[in-house]
Amino acid sequence: MAYRIQRLPTPPRAIALTARALAVGLALITAGVALAWKGASPWSLAHEVITDTFGSAFALEDLALLVSPLILTGLSVWVGLRVGAWNIGAEGQFNSGALAAAGVGLFVPGPTAVVLPLMLIAAIGGGVLWMAGPALARAYVGVSELITTLLLNFVAALLVYWLATGPWLDPGGRAIGTTARIPAEMPAVWGGVHWGLPLAVLLTLGAGTLLNYTRWGYEIRVCGANSDAARYAGMPVRRHLMTVMLLSGGLAGIAGMFEVAGTVHHLQGGISNNFGYLGIMVAVLARRSTLGVLAGAVFMALLLNSGTILSTRGVDVSIVLAVTGLVLLYTAIGDEVAHYRLVPTRELPCP
Amino acid sequence: MNVATGLLHTALLAGGVPALAALGEVMSERVGVINLGVEGLMALGAITAVVTVVDGANPYVGFLAAFALGLVVGMGFALITVQIRANQVLCGLALTLMGTGLAAAIGKPYAGTPLPAVFPPVVIPYLSRIPMLGEAVFSQNILVYVIYLVLPLGLHLLLFHTRHGLNLRAVGDNPAAADAAGIAVQRIRFCYVAVGAGFAAAAGAYLTLCFVPSWSDGVVAGRGWIAVALVIFAGFRPINAVLGALLFGATTALGFLGQARNWPIAPALLSMLPYLATLALLIVPAAASPRVRRLLAAPAALGLPYYRDER
Repeated sequence: MAYRIQRLPTPPRAIALTARALAVGLALITAGVALAWKGASPWSLAHEVITDTFGSAFALEDLALLVSPLILTGLSVWVGLRVGAWNIGAEGQFNSGALAAAGVGLFVPGPTAVVLPLMLIAAIGGGVLWMAGPALARAYVGVSELITTLLLNFVAALLVYWLATGPWLDPGGRAIGTTARIPAEMPAVWGGVHWGLPLAVLLTLGAGTLLNYTRWGYEIRVCGANSDAARYAGMPVRRHLMTVMLLSGGLAGIAGMFEVAGTVHHLQGGISNNFGYLGIMVAVLARRSTLGVLAGAVFMALLLNSGTILSTRGVDVSIVLAVTGLVLLYTAIGDEVAHYRLVPTRELPCP
Repeated sequence: MNVATGLLHTALLAGGVPALAALGEVMSERVGVINLGVEGLMALGAITAVVTVVDGANPYVGFLAAFALGLVVGMGFALITVQIRANQVLCGLALTLMGTGLAAAIGKPYAGTPLPAVFPPVVIPYLSRIPMLGEAVFSQNILVYVIYLVLPLGLHLLLFHTRHGLNLRAVGDNPAAADAAGIAVQRIRFCYVAVGAGFAAAAGAYLTLCFVPSWSDGVVAGRGWIAVALVIFAGFRPINAVLGALLFGATTALGFLGQARNWPIAPALLSMLPYLATLALLIVPAAASPRVRRLLAAPAALGLPYYRDER
């Protein structure tokens, strides 16, 4: 029987999910083969990664500390995608949020219960401010937010580096290039894990509910799917675009505040730790699913954590970035391939 | 060398990096494929040049090795985005992540090693004796002349004054019509995407062979993204792209001047100048008037894979 290839406009759910899983698996296998080729033993490394990650409560706490910023940067990119905006600048908004939070934490005296909310507000403001330019340029002039948000990442990183090594440098500190310890700390919820994690989960569920179960969310999704149709239906496309993009910036800013007040307790260069870029991965892996953001964040945290563990075994930590790229590449291919199916061609009877 | 001459000299040298990459990106985007992997390709090209030249090759070999690597990676990218038709934005980001990560891992042992050989300056007789301009423009290395003169003019003529150029612009604007006219859409896309990627990697080699003659982690520092931005600013025209790159180079040179002269501004803040200037280049012309926006519009099918069946 002969077959022909047919392309479906939307892939069946099961096939799409299978393609995703295959893509992630293949990326990890490719990385393993590359490691083996370099002379390492992927099996023993994998074994060490698994035992080191799940072996102790302490290791699990480390993992949880990575999950909360990834949920928020992932959510930031994911929310943007719902309205059809690529926020490649979560890294920059993370930095500006961290910077604003650290500014409040360092220079506003007061009890923790007062300072922490102020830090949060400042961080949201920082993230929103960092997104304001690209959002305005996209909504009113039609400049692609892909490049504008990304260029601001470098500006934010330089700004943080400058403040941490210059004006805000800890005068009495022994460490070079960090500010003084910020007195206000996020309270712990479990061992070394601060309240950032449950809050990030709540924010994700809240954003998911807003987008999936309200009229506003419906309009946002229509704007993202087809802005011409949305405009024709009388929806305020520009306003929705602006609101969601600014919201996206604010969420990444919150991630920065959690990192400063919960985990690092200083402002220092490189505090963003690629969380913004990995957030793109989280959002892509999640597709349209809210719970997917949480799952994607856990997966990326596992990957990031494996990199840290492997770096103690002589594997360069930059490899994590390369493996991340590999996962993204295979995912993109899998997404497209999932559209196709084979259909048997019936022999037509001869006339 | 006085201040203005020095500024122009550094501006030309620094602008060469995004100029070369932007020319490659113009090719890719003119046929309808947006390649966001420039940053990663540049990192791969930069480390290829460093590895080959430190191992004793001469700079020309290092440069060609980087170009060849970019060509091969570009073929892979083209295979995935043109033939398999996977999402171009995602694949480009993936390429950036992979290239940056791999280059950082490969480059670790080479960090800080100064290159034993770089491109020597080629002093053009007579012209180099023009006051002010001579020293700045006509005593650069050979690649500067190629990047600012030969390539943009050649590409401009190819794109706008040949039948083949008309065909390839048609592929980027309306692949279905081009296909109906008998133009090999997929083949043209594949070739130009691959060559464009080769240019991006070559730009990385130029970075380490001509501008900062050593490898360090993060040496590319967003220049690939700036190249992508310059293409949009240039309205997808090669000559404009190179002029935009020169403007970028000028802001870099200004930053260096500020550091050398101990201006009361922190070096980190001066390093922001090129990014902010590129942002301004992106937004201001588009904000100026709708007519300019139409003139600089992207190829109509940019980012859209071509399916022959869907007609």
